[in-house]
Order: sequence, then C-alpha cells, then structure tokens
Amino acid sequence: MSEMTTPNAGQAPVPETPAPSRRRFRLLPADPQARRFFWWQAATPFLAILFASFIGSLIMLAIGKNPFMVYAEMFSFSFGRIDSVGTILFRATPLIFAGLASALSFRINLFNIGVEGQYLIGAVFASIVGFSLKGLPAFIHLPLVILAAMLGGVLWAWLPAYLKVKRGVHEVISTIMMNYVAFSLMHWLIADIFIDRSQVIGAGGYGSPRVRMPLIEQSARIPTMHGFFAHFGINFPSHVYVNWLLFVGIALAGVMYYVIWRTPFGYEIRAVAQNPDAAEAAGINAKRQMFRTFLLSGAIAGLVGLSDLLAYFGYLDIDFPRGRGFDGIAVALLGKNDPFGVIIGAVLFGFLSRGAEGVQVFSGVPAEVITIIQGVMILSIVVAYEIVSRYIRIQKKKEAQ
Amino acid sequence: MSSTTGAEIVRLEGVTKRFPGVLANDRVDLSIMGGEIHAIVGENGAGKSTLMKILYGLYRPDSGTIYLRGAKQSIDGPGRAVALGIGMVHQHFMLIPAFTVTENIILGHEPSRTFLNFKKVATHIGELCRKYGFSLDPGAPVSSLSVGEQQRVEILKVLYRGADVLILDEPTAVLVPQEVAELFNNLRALKAAGKTIIFISHKLDEVLEIADRVSVLRQGRMVGTVEAARTDKRALAEMMVGRPVLFDLTKPQVTPGDVLLDVSGLTVPGRGTRPVVNAASFKVRAGEVYGIAGVEGNGQTELIEAVMGLRKPIAGAVHLQGQAATGLTPGELRRRGLAFIPEDRHKRGLVLPMTIWENLILGFHRDPGFSKPSGLNLKSIMSHSNEMKKRFDIRLSRLENPVLALSGGNQQKVILAREFSHDPRVIIASQPSRGLDIGATEFVHQQILKAKGAGKAVLLLSADLEEVMSLADRIGVIYNGEIVAELAADQVTPQELGLYMTGGKRQTREGVPA
Repeated sequence: MSEMTTPNAGQAPVPETPAPSRRRFRLLPADPQARRFFWWQAATPFLAILFASFIGSLIMLAIGKNPFMVYAEMFSFSFGRIDSVGTILFRATPLIFAGLASALSFRINLFNIGVEGQYLIGAVFASIVGFSLKGLPAFIHLPLVILAAMLGGVLWAWLPAYLKVKRGVHEVISTIMMNYVAFSLMHWLIADIFIDRSQVIGAGGYGSPRVRMPLIEQSARIPTMHGFFAHFGINFPSHVYVNWLLFVGIALAGVMYYVIWRTPFGYEIRAVAQNPDAAEAAGINAKRQMFRTFLLSGAIAGLVGLSDLLAYFGYLDIDFPRGRGFDGIAVALLGKNDPFGVIIGAVLFGFLSRGAEGVQVFSGVPAEVITIIQGVMILSIVVAYEIVSRYIRIQKKKEAQ
Repeated sequence: MSSTTGAEIVRLEGVTKRFPGVLANDRVDLSIMGGEIHAIVGENGAGKSTLMKILYGLYRPDSGTIYLRGAKQSIDGPGRAVALGIGMVHQHFMLIPAFTVTENIILGHEPSRTFLNFKKVATHIGELCRKYGFSLDPGAPVSSLSVGEQQRVEILKVLYRGADVLILDEPTAVLVPQEVAELFNNLRALKAAGKTIIFISHKLDEVLEIADRVSVLRQGRMVGTVEAARTDKRALAEMMVGRPVLFDLTKPQVTPGDVLLDVSGLTVPGRGTRPVVNAASFKVRAGEVYGIAGVEGNGQTELIEAVMGLRKPIAGAVHLQGQAATGLTPGELRRRGLAFIPEDRHKRGLVLPMTIWENLILGFHRDPGFSKPSGLNLKSIMSHSNEMKKRFDIRLSRLENPVLALSGGNQQKVILAREFSHDPRVIIASQPSRGLDIGATEFVHQQILKAKGAGKAVLLLSADLEEVMSLADRIGVIYNGEIVAELAADQVTPQELGLYMTGGKRQTREGVPA
C-alpha cells in the first residue's frame, strides 16, 4: 500500500483522524455542516409550536378573548398548582409508551397506525390476568400482568407484520382494520364474556351495573409515585394518579435509545430503514428485521393502557379511554422519532390537555380551542419538518455539485 | 451563420461559478477556434460539466464573460444558446422510444403548428444524414436503434436546430469500440463541414485520437490548452491529476489454482418470457481474474445478483469453493468467503446517511470482534476503522461523518476496505471503477491485482473494455443474457470483443466450456 500513500498534489493534506472521542453519546454532530443542519432541525418543533399558538391567538381574538391572558392562565393553572403538574405527568405517561411504539416502527419506515388496537388488546390481556389470578404476591402478579399486556400488543401486531413481510399488504391498511376489530373484540369480551356479574347494585335496587370486567386484584395494581416525590418535598394530593409507569416509560426511552444507536439490532434497524438494498446485499435479512421491529413496536404499544387500567380505574370497562394510539403518532412526530423527543412531546400533550381544562374553567375559552391548537401544531410540525428537510436537501445538493 | 473556420468562435474569460462550499469554476479562460474539435478533459469534479452548462445557458456564471464570434453575450438559458448556434448532446439521451427518428428530431421544433408534412421533414433529415455521413433511417422508430444510432439522432437533433458549435458530454461512455469509430467518422465529417465540436471526456486515448486541441481542467481551474499532436497520454494525465500516473498495470503471474467459483447453466427469469440470463456458465480459479464484458443491460446485473443470492435463478447452480451455494442468502455466502463490490455503490454498497465507521462494518456488525453481548464494541470498531483508513488511504476528516460526505473514490475505498478486510476467497467486483477519477481507479485496479496475487478468485464485471482487458486473465462476453464467447485476455483485440458484445459474432458452443 505504501506506493498509494503519496498524497495527491494540490489536494489539501488530510489531518489525522482524531482518536475516537471519549464521549460516545455525542449530542452534536462533529461536522460543521451537519451541526448547522442539526440546529435547523432542532428548532423546527419550536417554530411550529409558536406558529400554532399564533393561530390559536387569532381564534381567541375572534371569540373576543385576549390571547395573552388566556395563555397566561394556561401556564399559571398548569404550573402554578402542584396537582396540575402531577396531572400533566399522569396524562403524559400513556403517551410516552404510545409515542415510543410509533417511533420505533417509524424508525424502520413502517407506519404502525395500529398502536390504538394493540393497546386495547394489551389492556384486555392485562385485565384478564389481573382479575383472574388471585393470591399471588405483587412482585409476581404485576410482572405477569405487564407481560400479558405486551403479549396482547404483539399478537395484534403479528398479523399486519406477517401480511406486510410475506404478502406485501400495506401496514397502514391492515393496522387500521385491526383497530376496528380490536375495539369490537374488546366490547364483546367485556360485555358478553367477562362481565362482572357479582356487582352489587346500589342500595334499594336502584341504578345499573357497570359494563366492566371484574376488579383487578390489588396485587396487580401499579402504586402511585407520591411517596417517591415526597422525598423531594413534592406532595401530590390523592386525586393525582402519577404512578411508577412514568418511571418505566422514561427508562424504556433510555433503553430504546441505547438499542437503536448502540446495538447490532438497532444498527440493523437503521441500515434497513435508510437503504434496504445495501443492507440486504451485506447479508442483513431486511424483512426479518422489519417483522421483529414491528412486533417490538406492538409489545410497547401493549403497555399504553396500563397506567389508566392499573393506577386509575382498576377495572376494564367499555368506556376505557381510547385515542391514545393516535396521540402517540403525533407525539412521535413531535419528537422526531427520538426516544427523548417522545418524552418531551408527551409532556407537551399532557400540558395542553391540562391547560385546556384551566382555560375552560377560568377564562371561559372552550377546550376545543386548545384541541385546535394541538391539531394546527401537528400539521405545522409536519410541514415545518418537510420544509427544513427540503431546504437541507437543496443545500446539500448545491454543495455536492 | 457561415462557417467561421480558423477564427475564434467561443471565448470564455474569467468564468467563475461557486456552489455553497465548492468552487466549481475558478476564473476559467477558454478559447475555441471555429472548425476545430476541442476536447475538455479533467477528473470527476474538475468542473468540465459546469463550464459547459454555463456555455449552454443551464447555469449563470457568478462572474466572467462569454464572447461568441467576438461579441459579448449573456446566455440566460438553453433557448438563447440554441438561438446563438450552440447545441449540447447530453450523456443521457432524451428520446421517445415509440417515436420515429424524424419525430424525435423535430420534437419541440416542429416546422408548422397546424399541419406537419412529415415527408418533407424526413427528406430534409435524410439530406442532413447524407451530408455528414450518418447512417440512419429517418422513418425507423427509436426503440429499434442501437445506442450508437440513438446518439446520432441526438446529434442530428442539435444540427437540425442549426447549431454551429456542438457540445458533446462524454459521448463515448456508452459506446463499444466500433461505435466509437463511427462516431469519430461522423465528427470528422462535421468538422470538414465547418462545425465546431467541444468534446468532454476523461478517456485520454480517444481525446488524442480525435481532438485538435485539448484543454485540461483541474479542481475548477484551467491548467492549460495543448495541441493534441504535441502531447501524449502521460503528459495529459499528469496535467489532470497533478502528479505522474502509472498506466501499466503489471498482472502478477500466478498459476491458477482450484476452481473457487463455479457457475453452471445459471438462468434468471426476466420480465417477459425470455430469461434475462440464459444458461450462463463459467469458472473462476484461485489467482485468476475472470472478466465479464458486455454492453450494459445484457444481463450482467441480474447474473451477479443471482450469484450473490439477491435474485432467484430458475435453473443452474453456483458452487463456492466446491460446495453447493445456490439459493443461499447473501449473509451465508459472505460467511463462506464471498466478497461483493456492487455496481451501484449508492444503491447496494453503502447506507449513505450512516457514518463512515458504521458503513465499514456493514454486514460484519455481528462479528464477535465488533459486538459484545451488551451492544456494539465501539472501541474495537473504531480501532478497526482507523486501521482501514490507513490501509486503504481513505481520505476523511472524521469517522463519525456520514459516508455521503466522502468523494466517490473514497466511498469506493470504504467498500473495498470492508470487503477485502475479512479475508474473502472469492471477490465479485462489478463496475469497480465506475465514476472514479484516475487516482482512485488506479487504486482500485491495484487492489484487484493484489487480491489476485494473493490467490483469490476475482470475478470482474465492467462496461469499460480497457479495464477488463488490462485486469482479466480470461474474458467471457455476455450478450442478450448469454455468454457468447470466452477468450484469453492477451489474445483478443478490443475490436473482436466489440463484435461479440454487439452480437455480431459468437463462439460455437464447443468453445464455451459447459
């Protein structure tokens, strides 16, 4: 090789590569150009939030409210009260799981719209294991319930994943269909199969029983984090249900980050997503990787319902909260499919939903206005990302020519 | 516009074009005389195309002036260039296959908006053909034409629009030797008729054969203009690269050993009823480079994909080191010592947005050396990457940069480093020097010969005859999905290969080992 090391005359001498940096988790790209683009990309969600707030202001002006007062109320209600802070965290918890599940599938270019159905089936499985096993200690029962929820999510993701990989059926179509099936199946299982017939009707025979499965055993309930927060002098009132699944969600985000960036499994996800042809030629089984990643996404989706089921209701009824799966797509989008971005997105959504209650009660602004802001925000983020990535693409092309 | 033979027809002064981060043309001066064939040579990225796109009005220069026949001109678009008598034949043809030659030529410049007298137009085009010695049937559909004929249609298109100055962008890149010879005859006829031809190329032999004068660009700057008769290949190459270049590759003398790759009767289905690869058979021995020559689109891509396990053959067998290897996945083949340099490195070879170090381990990322139970072993990956960088002279600033930030030659070096570093027994190299500059091509060729010297079996596919002939020991010619001839590289001429490649000749079946 020695004859080849004569540098091309006229070409600037190439500096020695610096030794690989000690800091493995480099936040900023080393290359100045990439760093510039990184800041552009990092700024986009904030610009989109500002834009959405501006649209929201116009609506508030239209209904005769002072947007500054409304936003001030929103902030003071959300952050000025300790129970609001707890509520925001509680509402963010399921969205973290939903966002992570969506983000993982997006990472390999699969659009898992089925988080919705997967978490409902996960909740059904969790509920059945939660009420039917009796007398187990919590340290056995609770993990079993969590595993059951994940199994439910995996089962519901299996068919779309199989159809995608073996038959080329687009996962968006199949998962949407599976969502309808999941909801109907859940109804049937609650109302016709597992309905709790031992419910005591109110005194004097008045009222009617809930359409729900039996109550989940105490050994399968998730404890709240009140005791933990009390160590830091934060005392949440009892009507706040912030629980240990918040901690699990944040830990899961960290695990997902590590898996994506620092393991062969995540390496294959990224390679398949960004160039399946090259990955295949290098010996990576692209379809198998897609299949596995989709199932993993389903497993995470199965956990979405647990915070409501095990920390709040304690039973599964036909009014069990829905729509978390779709919120998760928005959260993943907000967070740019980055696990920590997902956490930020989920907390933002929690804040918006809590703030909406505040402005409705104290400023007389309908909560729907906040929902509009939420919608505009998602739209403008998608548009902003597209604009920024197009801008970056054009810049790169220009520089390449 | 009368012929202006002898006088200066095009003059560029101080033309500068800057793209963000790149100075594509840096104060370039160029003078083209009327009626000459003027070649512009330079490595990839030297700014040849940019300069010609400026002359043709596709780009506006940041500064500098263009003079045509002595008058200062501002060329703000191709329309203006055409009006000034400048025409450009692009490397990629822009023809409608279903249309006839005549229809394609007049497309966009129809003589009448209401009623087209095709007969009259065809006669006119026939006259043009006769005048310049183009053999073309104006009534033939373009889909029935060979690549060389399609190129003639493109040139006629430009002439039909009244061009005096023709810019040809790498016109020989897609042609076999016979077609090149015919193109050169056409160009000489055009020159005799007083046309001026600007010929962009990086093939120095051709440039010396056809051009009157040669201008050399290097890194956006004009190195100089020389008369073709007073220079030689070595001198031109040195002007292009900025250092002396070795042209003579010495094949290491190795006695071929065992058959390491044995492909027999391999047949790959195509889109229609005909197979794209039809009963292809060949053997590659240890210490041997087996070249496959052919015009692109004759089944080479599919053949290699079938051997690599990326495509399912319907018949035939592949044996790797004596063991059956048909139907194995690419991963299994690689573990058995097969290395692969794909023809399209952006599609099959690299994951462009991923980092250089990540691309250096693609496919080997689960090797015990690179991964621990807890995840990727960054420490050993980084030391491996640094070693590869040194061994293969990959010019990079940081291993953490995406591989798309590298030049084409360095990207190819990343692939070579990855594929060669795991001690393969058999190497499949498909178009290994495509799009690379002289320095990088030289490097790739040396690596291939070095692998041969080390007793590896190399299967080399290339559309570049010169490359196949200088590297390979034996050459199989593929035409229409069939290996029509198998020849010893030192006993065959380019012309003969060209005949086989275009279906003009084929060996009898006995000549091809079954």
